Amino acid sequence: MLTEEVIEFLHKIPPFQFLDNATLKQLVSGVTMEFFPKGTAIQYQGGPAPEYIYVIKKGEVKVSIKNESEEVFVDYRGEGDLIGYMLIFGGNRARATVIAVNDTICYLIKREPIQNLLYTNPAVREFFHTSFLSKYLDKTFKEIQNRNLVYSGGDKILFTMPVGELASKDVIKASENITIQEAAEIMSNYSISSLILIDADGNPSGIITDRDLRDKVVSKGRDCKEPVKNIMSVPHVRADVKEYCFEAILKMVKHNVHHLLIMKDGKLKGILTNHDLMLIQGTSPLSIVKDIEGQTTIDALVPVSKRINNIIGLLLNEGAKASSITRIITEINDRLVRKILEIAEERFGEPPIPYCWIVFGSEGRKEQTFKTDQDNALIYADPASEEEESLAREYFRSFSLFVREGLLKCGFPPCPADFMATNPMWRQPLHVWKKYFTNWISTPTSEAILNSVTFFDFRAVYGETKLLEWLKDFVMNMVKDNKVFLGYIANMAIKNMPPIGFLKTFVVEKSGEHKDKLNLKVKGLAPLVDIVRLFALEKGIHETSTIERILTLKDKHTIIKEYADELLHAFEFILLLRIQNQFEQLKKGEDINNFINPNALSNLEKRIAKETFHLISKVQDLIIERYKAMIW
Amino acid sequence: MYSFFKLKKQEFVSPDLDKSISEANYTVIDTELTGLNERKDSIISIGAVKMVGSKIDLSRDFHRFTKPGTKFKSESVVVHGITPSDVSEEPAIDSILSEFSDFCGDDTLIGHCVSIDMAFINREMKRVLGNPMSNPVIDTFFIYEWIRNQSPSKPCFSYASKDSGLYEIAKCFEIPVRGAHDALTDAFITAQIFQRFIPVLINLGVKNLGMLLKIGHPEEGGDKSSKSGLISNF
Repeated sequence: MLTEEVIEFLHKIPPFQFLDNATLKQLVSGVTMEFFPKGTAIQYQGGPAPEYIYVIKKGEVKVSIKNESEEVFVDYRGEGDLIGYMLIFGGNRARATVIAVNDTICYLIKREPIQNLLYTNPAVREFFHTSFLSKYLDKTFKEIQNRNLVYSGGDKILFTMPVGELASKDVIKASENITIQEAAEIMSNYSISSLILIDADGNPSGIITDRDLRDKVVSKGRDCKEPVKNIMSVPHVRADVKEYCFEAILKMVKHNVHHLLIMKDGKLKGILTNHDLMLIQGTSPLSIVKDIEGQTTIDALVPVSKRINNIIGLLLNEGAKASSITRIITEINDRLVRKILEIAEERFGEPPIPYCWIVFGSEGRKEQTFKTDQDNALIYADPASEEEESLAREYFRSFSLFVREGLLKCGFPPCPADFMATNPMWRQPLHVWKKYFTNWISTPTSEAILNSVTFFDFRAVYGETKLLEWLKDFVMNMVKDNKVFLGYIANMAIKNMPPIGFLKTFVVEKSGEHKDKLNLKVKGLAPLVDIVRLFALEKGIHETSTIERILTLKDKHTIIKEYADELLHAFEFILLLRIQNQFEQLKKGEDINNFINPNALSNLEKRIAKETFHLISKVQDLIIERYKAMIW
Repeated sequence: MYSFFKLKKQEFVSPDLDKSISEANYTVIDTELTGLNERKDSIISIGAVKMVGSKIDLSRDFHRFTKPGTKFKSESVVVHGITPSDVSEEPAIDSILSEFSDFCGDDTLIGHCVSIDMAFINREMKRVLGNPMSNPVIDTFFIYEWIRNQSPSKPCFSYASKDSGLYEIAKCFEIPVRGAHDALTDAFITAQIFQRFIPVLINLGVKNLGMLLKIGHPEEGGDKSSKSGLISNF
């Protein structure tokens, strides 16, 4: 029977691999096999929906969609990938154009039986739902990136330079049978950040990177005499020497990897890192970090800090996820703040008592993008005597003033609400901070709630971080089971209802300067942040960034458990939209704000935005349910 | 009413020569034989695969073994790996012929060096059912030769084999040829080769069945002097 070959093939491919033999046999009962020569279209966007799901048996196809005027590259798919599966969720038009970029052979499986599996088989359902969501989302990201690429002219090189010219040519390889230590030794001898491991036949079988050594060995206390095989990751993401850098970037983003194996005629030709890609554009986050480290005066830091905004543009162009952009920006800003503090210590001499510089707000949540207001405070150790106390007070007064001015020079405007260490209220010893929180939590006036919510996202940037950890322990213990206080926070989390009416249309600003515009921060970002913060407080976790909170709560919190992926996607989406919008404003020389015109969004973006707001609204309903008695 | 039936009947008898080759129905066939001598040897097995245009229907295949009426030759046992004891329990060819004929329907039959297969099949058909098969027949061997001769300076295949044997051609197209070389597998390989030919033929202007028959018919088309493929196929 010829179908046996098909079944054997499908056994290795999700979601078919989750099916038993009997189901598979049924599924292939009408299977056919079709050949598409290189260059032919398998389907056209907008054409009639094929009644099959195509499983690529051999070859490679390119998926693209057209939005308004331009063709946007979405994806390459190869052996074992599926085409046309989005249609199992409905629709009678093909959603993308699929072209065979090499001679391609597909198995054609009838759509209907697969559709039926959605109802009967949870594994299949989950597979299609998650990949649908993520592909769907991928598409939006790419749409945004692409628009940006089109607008900013200087990136032609990404489209014109094949990766083969960029990839490091002399790849250092080693046998997969060496130990971790031997691998590390090779890497430091050659000063390389990654090492390719090959099997007995000389084929690449894995890769280890600096990151693996840090994450899987040092931090885990793993024995470095273990075979390197145990920690290597299996590199599945490859690019052909002829592919353009742009496509390589998309592959990296899509698979969330930092290295691509560059292949030529089936053989390993080189390796490409995301750093290589950034270097061709002349600005790399790493070079900025180096420049920051090298300075000794505030004045010298000013020009360096001006380059930070460029990095955002660069990262946007290179297709980074919003969370990656904010992470990199946070890291750079942290270093800048640390440098300013170092310079301040240098100038005022050793501090009389250990202290900790803390940041909160978006900076505390590591969600900074373009320069935002200063949000900082200072905790110092409890002084042993009155004398020590007054010494500390005096020292930190001028110290914090110096830092504020330094930050201002580097482009961080002061906080209008005066949440800064220069305000004596927010420059206190540990025991006073404890008293603050005790008061806020036991007597939750509206001001107390606002203060506590502001400070709940606090994070240590410099100094004796233990001080903050102690304070966090103290606060979290107090909040965790305090239903009344959590009730107040819950009210805050549901305060901003998302802008969707029953007609599913956007509700936008009705009047004023931003008439007909949507406030992304108030309507999108803030509710998500507030919701996730509430859940973090319920479980008393220390993480401050929204994404880290979601990830940590994934197996601790019932609501997060159910909606983690959607919340992450939603958050990434809104964040990216906002960054993109602000970057455009900046380029036009406008002041940045949080308003977007919903009509300027593509249909796809609109749809995702609506789904995001639906999600927010759904979770808010769950919160109302949970805090019923305390919602007013 | 009468004319309607008459029309129907006519269509059944003669193939629709205007039918596009990418929509026509095909049955791709192969046989295993005890030897090549039409008078002394006989059929051991028949394999067949259906195609609609370039789409191979994997769920409908035909594979039957028969107890041959004549003796096995040791040299052919080596080729197909079927020994007399393997098929001693199988039915005689007589009982599977009408089943095979039904499977083919009025499809165009396709095979590699198919005149040998047809000679044996039709001999049995005439003996048992009284008539040879009336389906149009196309030989992939001739089609391959024809395509290759179209523009020698600008080859249609980037990987043409000089040898026109089934497996040699298959290898050029990276069609897997491992596994048992039985009639069904070989018919499937032939189908995959024909699948690759279809887009090339369309590019060369071979649009309908009538044109395909002209170049691919085992008696009419092709370069009859070259029989090398015949030998290597067997």
